Amino acid sequence: MVVCAALVVGPNSSVFTPQELAGKLVALDYGNGTAYAGLLMLEGAMAREAITTCGATSHGGDRLAALRRGEFEATVLQEPWITAAEKAGCRIVSTTFFHGTWVADQSVSPEAYAAFLRAITRAVRRINADKRKYVTYYLRDFPDYPELAGVTADDFDLNRVQLKEPGPIPEAEARWAWEWMSSWGVLEGSFDVGAQINRRVEREAHAHATVSAG
Amino acid sequence: MQLTIERVLAFNGLDVLVARDEGLFEAEGLDLRIVAPAPDEMRSAADGTLTRPVTNQGLLVDRGEAGMFQG
Repeated sequence: MVVCAALVVGPNSSVFTPQELAGKLVALDYGNGTAYAGLLMLEGAMAREAITTCGATSHGGDRLAALRRGEFEATVLQEPWITAAEKAGCRIVSTTFFHGTWVADQSVSPEAYAAFLRAITRAVRRINADKRKYVTYYLRDFPDYPELAGVTADDFDLNRVQLKEPGPIPEAEARWAWEWMSSWGVLEGSFDVGAQINRRVEREAHAHATVSAG
Repeated sequence: MQLTIERVLAFNGLDVLVARDEGLFEAEGLDLRIVAPAPDEMRSAADGTLTRPVTNQGLLVDRGEAGMFQG
């Protein structure tokens, strides 16, 4: 799964670009991919010492509500909250995408993981063939949530819904992510590919995960 | 075969939810179970810091109650 994350400001904010968030408070749900996507967007726009963040709930709807109450200048949202924010007049100042990565313990067999991957691959193909049909899932996750009142499947920007058939994680990408997180003090120690990725299980699973076209 | 994973939402697991609802795991002979911590076990990310984050991801894998989570 590829996740879209958007840096969002309130309707009356004077901020129109990520650079203008230098020294201004940005709420991040530390420990989640969305937060790190937010840091990446900010880091691309200003010196690290100008990045000013605070911890926030991992519930995007609650972050959006707090943004609208003016508790901070910006936050990072994922769907369906990006769409809800736009509908409420909030403004997107940057977007990015990141991979969700499955983390498995040693109890997961290559056979079970391969079956999981085959099912996921078929689902990705079905969703990509009719994204509009499936965006209703974003709304189903949060029934009766006030920030989603009035949001319908037609409101979603399908360019933010990106799915990719699963594949092995490239070592260079894993190493870069580890070293970048280490540079922020989130992880300690050097990247050890053998400790992080069980290439035998990964190889066996992907070898049996091929799904024919159609 | 059985596999237990931690709960996903559509933003990070739309493919999983569609595969479950449309019987794609079952068609592969996989009994996929999706589990979540009890509400009173959920910790708030707001209580963490950048360098000492508080997250629920991996909580059930650490306890041996799930085999995979999406990070």
